[in-house]
Amino acid sequence: VSFQSRVERTPAGDIRLHLADDERALLREVADELGSLLEEAPDDPSLRRLFPAAHDDEELEREYRELTRGQLDAGRERSIETLRETADRELLTPEEADAWLRALNDARLVLGTRLDITENFDWEAFDANDPQAPELALYAYLSWIQEQLVEAM
Amino acid sequence: MLEVHHNGKSVVSSGGREKAELDVARLHAYGLWATMQQD
Repeated sequence: VSFQSRVERTPAGDIRLHLADDERALLREVADELGSLLEEAPDDPSLRRLFPAAHDDEELEREYRELTRGQLDAGRERSIETLRETADRELLTPEEADAWLRALNDARLVLGTRLDITENFDWEAFDANDPQAPELALYAYLSWIQEQLVEAM
Repeated sequence: MLEVHHNGKSVVSSGGREKAELDVARLHAYGLWATMQQD
């Protein structure tokens, strides 16, 4: 694995991706899984960080959810769909790159919730034999791609 | 921006409930953790 930048901005303002086929396959898989989770298990506890409470008050919170959940879901579905459809693309438009950022961030939040990753998470203690190691590695990979996208944009 | 970095939270919008909810929803769309607080 080379750690030089895999994402760069072209003079025309598009985003060029230098990603291997297996990385693209992985990203498509992430988009598929996140998409089905949102569609089939919208109340799954691992999604709670995607839909934080806006109010402490229960009644106000219920109203807020009724008002916004549909739109938030639709926005998420769109960005996940874009990631899935453009996973093999070498060049992304700024809009597509923005969708990638949103979808990758959502995937990180869901994984982070599942793995109970917090600010003080001790990455030094990473153990390849940990049963959660593959998901932790995926989390780290998504964070890295996200960082590169942000830097390129 | 620095305030949120140092303190973990920051007031980013104020106004009536409807406007504030719209702003909160916009932040939730980006995966940011926003809540409403009545002053």
